[in-house]
Amino acid sequence: MATDKIPVRITVNGRRYERSVEPRMLLADFLRSELRLTGTHVGCAQGSCGACTVLINGRTGRSCLAFAVQLEGAEIRTVESLAPQGPLNAIQQAYHEAHALQCGFCTPGFLMVTTQLLADNPDPTDAEIRAALAGNLCRCTGYVNIVRAVKLAASRLREAASAAGSAAP
Amino acid sequence: MGSPESNSIIGKAVLRREDDRLLRGYGCFIDDVPEPAGTLHLVFVMSPYAHARILALKTDAARAVEGVVDVLTGADFAGVVKPMAPDYAQPGYQVVGRPVIALGRVRFVGELVAVVVATSRNLAEDAAELVELECEPLPALVDAHLALQPGAIKLHEEASDNVLFRSIFKTPGFDAALAGADHVVRDRFHSQRLAAVSMEPRGCLAVHDRGRDGLTFWSGTQIPHIARTALAELLDWDEERLRVIAPDVGGGFGMKAYLYPEEVVAAALARRYQGAVKWIGDRREDLLTSNQGRDYDYDMAMGFERDGTLVALQARIVCNIGAYPTFPLGASVEAGGAALYMPGPYRLRHFAFDTCAVATNLCPTGAYRGVAAPVSAFATEALMDKAAHELGMDPAEIRLRNMLRDEEFPYVNVLGIQYREGTYERCLRRALEASGYEEYRRRQPAGRLAGGKYRGIGIACIIEHTGQGASRYRARGILRIPGFDSAQVKVEPNGKAVAYVSHTTQGQGHLTAFAQIVAEGLGIAITDVTVVEGDTAQGPYGTGTFASRAAVTGGGAVLRASAVVADKLRRLAAHALEASPADIELSQNYAHITGVPQLRVSIRDLAATAYSMSAGELPPGENYGLEATDYYDPPYPSITNAVHVVQVAIDALTGLVDIERYVVVHDSGRIINPPIVEGQIQGGIMQGLGSVLYEAIRHDAEGQPLQASLMDYLLPTMADAPDIEILHQETWAADTAGGFKGVGEGGTIGAVPAIALAIADALRASGARVTELPLRPDKIIALLEGVDGSTHREA
Amino acid sequence: MRPVSFTYLAPDSAEEALAQLASYAGNARLLAGGQSLIPLLNLRISRPAALVDLGRCSELAYLRREGDWLASGPMTRQVMAEHAALVRENCPLLGKALRHLGPPAVRNRATIGGTLAHADRVAELPGVALALGAEFIAQGPGGRRVIPAEKFFRGDLTNALDPDEMLREIRFPTAPPSSGSAFVEACNRHHDLMLVGIAAQLEFGVDGSCSAARIAAAGVQSTPVRLRQTEARLVRAGQLDEAAILEAARLSLEDVEPEGDLHASAAYRRRVMVGLVERALRQAAGDATGGSRRGGGGHGHG
Repeated sequence: MATDKIPVRITVNGRRYERSVEPRMLLADFLRSELRLTGTHVGCAQGSCGACTVLINGRTGRSCLAFAVQLEGAEIRTVESLAPQGPLNAIQQAYHEAHALQCGFCTPGFLMVTTQLLADNPDPTDAEIRAALAGNLCRCTGYVNIVRAVKLAASRLREAASAAGSAAP
Repeated sequence: MGSPESNSIIGKAVLRREDDRLLRGYGCFIDDVPEPAGTLHLVFVMSPYAHARILALKTDAARAVEGVVDVLTGADFAGVVKPMAPDYAQPGYQVVGRPVIALGRVRFVGELVAVVVATSRNLAEDAAELVELECEPLPALVDAHLALQPGAIKLHEEASDNVLFRSIFKTPGFDAALAGADHVVRDRFHSQRLAAVSMEPRGCLAVHDRGRDGLTFWSGTQIPHIARTALAELLDWDEERLRVIAPDVGGGFGMKAYLYPEEVVAAALARRYQGAVKWIGDRREDLLTSNQGRDYDYDMAMGFERDGTLVALQARIVCNIGAYPTFPLGASVEAGGAALYMPGPYRLRHFAFDTCAVATNLCPTGAYRGVAAPVSAFATEALMDKAAHELGMDPAEIRLRNMLRDEEFPYVNVLGIQYREGTYERCLRRALEASGYEEYRRRQPAGRLAGGKYRGIGIACIIEHTGQGASRYRARGILRIPGFDSAQVKVEPNGKAVAYVSHTTQGQGHLTAFAQIVAEGLGIAITDVTVVEGDTAQGPYGTGTFASRAAVTGGGAVLRASAVVADKLRRLAAHALEASPADIELSQNYAHITGVPQLRVSIRDLAATAYSMSAGELPPGENYGLEATDYYDPPYPSITNAVHVVQVAIDALTGLVDIERYVVVHDSGRIINPPIVEGQIQGGIMQGLGSVLYEAIRHDAEGQPLQASLMDYLLPTMADAPDIEILHQETWAADTAGGFKGVGEGGTIGAVPAIALAIADALRASGARVTELPLRPDKIIALLEGVDGSTHREA
Repeated sequence: MRPVSFTYLAPDSAEEALAQLASYAGNARLLAGGQSLIPLLNLRISRPAALVDLGRCSELAYLRREGDWLASGPMTRQVMAEHAALVRENCPLLGKALRHLGPPAVRNRATIGGTLAHADRVAELPGVALALGAEFIAQGPGGRRVIPAEKFFRGDLTNALDPDEMLREIRFPTAPPSSGSAFVEACNRHHDLMLVGIAAQLEFGVDGSCSAARIAAAGVQSTPVRLRQTEARLVRAGQLDEAAILEAARLSLEDVEPEGDLHASAAYRRRVMVGLVERALRQAAGDATGGSRRGGGGHGHG
């Protein structure tokens, strides 16, 4: 029967989970209701706002545009993986200092997209930042401070990388 | 009494205390609130017709779906829930009630016709599709001008026609004044229907306590106290049994300052099933049913003397408010505000308006950031420009001639509203200078076209009525809004402070800003202050957060309550240190004698005294405890002012608009936290930008909405966001506690006229009339070609 | 809203996928990247009894040069193709269009085949496929067949595949030497769904005259359209001076019957198309000479 559940094994934030879920369960709903990782937010369920963005096998993806069952064996990272305890990571800290969040609903999606952007491009121009983040909607901030936050995070990450004296990302 | 330098934290750029958990993904929005075991889920069946008589509703097939507990219709709620009627019977208003679920007749696409209750949301959606609705379609009335004609189909039996609110005003001698003006400019303006589109849609979780017949009601609401009172009234439930909690809320913008039928149904069903009931709306429902706004037509005339002096202003305003007045602000908030805010920063003695709110078969509307002020500003500023152009003056010059000067304050405007202070001229001059206006005009080609772009510059001089109190809502006839807010400030036995405030935040930073006020008032570290909001069981009653009020009414209440607690701390310290309270200073978690810092006692020790936990003595006549509650109702609206100057470049081929430069000089009173203020301005500007360039709610002639998703309803993205240069002009309010003014909507109010007029300036050589929003690329190209190839207003 | 219930199938091979597709007799949908299909599923506009997920068919994700063709499996992710040297070197027009396709999070999962099969009137790749004369290899129970681009797109969201067929491969002709290409589009916002897009590839002879032209307009009608009058005019002109470009661009109006929608009127699409054709021709000509090489195909905001 279509409502029969299918077993699926997914690694999320470094931990392996095994669950039985309906095929129609979105990855976003799997994270939120099966695993109680509610940091990933659903703003539209239509792939047009980006609030639900997570990392799927190391690349950003909209968790409302994937079914959990598609991701058998995949590795997912959500916002909760950035700083579960202890200090905020460089990107989070930069958002904080730049006042780049207000209500916080879109923020997890922005953090994940920023994570990928700076991994791919450690020194993005304003135009590159805007192009990479244009798919994430924010209704509160007007975006200006988010651009500042990304630049701030980029410069700090570059500093830390060169201070570490290594070329490794 | 001034605070010592070391205490001074109001005005500082304190980083937000809200951020840490939100950045970690540990926020708790309505869909994150843990569901009690056995929570039932609601899915609403919505009307596919804009206007129809309900003939039959067949729910058997839906009921048969596994997991479905019940399927209920309007009849099931008719005896249990009162109709939602926000307005009271008073001149100008027609009282109309809305059944929470349609009874007999549906009046807009999206109106609730049935509710499915099931063990999971998926199953409820499956069942909802099986509900069969049989209707006799009726003609859909979507055009407000047609709806207000005599003989138009009446949408509500209890009203005599579709004009649910009307207000007419004319100053004595107006007609002669307008007729006698040297130069009269007229035009008609249309602003399109908008959706607020907070990133988080609406939702609620209602949890019944069967033993106490109590309810804990979680909702992403901007008005927890008003919601509680309303639920009690509508459900005939003792108010003291109800608790409303707003968790983290993902944006409100006025749209969530309302009680919605879905919420009332959820509360009623929690009681019926004696358990927990949850409803989470999705984006599709949000675009269909969340309050929309700004569907207005303005017919304007402004009379000037030859030298550009404004003599008279006449406005006829028609607001399309959709199928029902919305609760609690009612039918007048848009139509009344449109007229109320129109005089703006200008000297005006002759004012006439005729404003009305008309019901149609569209989604109900309500307050959306700025409400009608952005459009009123667009209309008046556009006519200022038109008059300037025809009189051979620069637009800046005509504004300077007419704006109120410093020496005219306090100024009572033509509607009897007091402008206590303002920096209109100063802000305009600063903005012109900062934006290089004169140089821009000097270099500007008459044809406006260079390098494939049409370029123009626009000025908007605006005011914003913030922090409106009880007297304003009474005067406006809006009787469900108390108008005051409150705070209970308490120092706990450990010497740390908690402030319970009647507001609630959707991202405005209250937990930081109010903490700054307490910290400064009590002389304790901000890390020792906690602000609690949004929970009716914690803290005193108040109005809630909308209409740019929190800094004024909340800030004021927190300030005053803190002052009372601070006075008690000084009395306790004076007793302990054998000094006079007048000689005691509070600073850095200590109370010490002025000038003798080593003679001190810690706040914590004073708290121990106040709670009888130490050997310390209370002064004679003093009682235990260390708290104070203040209710604050500002005596006047705090009127802020701003000037926005915008430069645009329009691609001559595609019509796409670039904002090349955006300068705003903003006076929003005493600033508590500069980045928070700037964030409000930036966010407000972006919403204004979206409403000028991209956003529109559209329908066909039958009232069928044409947008199903955010691919159809276009919000501005980061790629569209200009850098915004914000210059502060800080003028403390003379009459509000703390000198605070509000700032939430000013960005939007200025952005709409400034961007629209910049576009008008860019298109000036083509003779285009820029009077309709939005100004999408196809509209701009049509204006350039002199063809009104409009795709708007399908009806 | 969430989808209706469906049976989920995850075959390992194209053959298995086809068998599963056939067993549902038109009631199953193929799931590629999901970026176009899942929104329709979530809105319950698409209501299949089964989804056949191609994600585990590793044989379907590839890019290969085969003689004069660049062959792509249907499951090649857009982000992969965007960064692939094979695309850049052999089919630069495709590479230019790929940059316009949506935000990174979507391009990471969306596929070449999925986007083409979805046949959205406002998608860029159908325009590129038509301009280049791509070939669509369909595979069904009866075997394979080749569908040329001009027959593949039947209407908005409608392609020429039979219900029991899958898009097995897409073959793009490799760009001839001495050719230049451009992709330009106009949008309602700075980064947005396309309103009108022009895909152009021009070939030049040793004397610098235009020897062949392939130009398609997407977003103007319910399927992409070849601008044959424009093409013919360019080849007749030979040397492409500004006057020739302007005249050729104007002729594009003869080949289209623009349709308006919620986002832009027909009149707008008509007018913008002409200007975008001009821009595309200038850029393609510049690209061929290697002179004014601009990054990307040029965005709508110029």
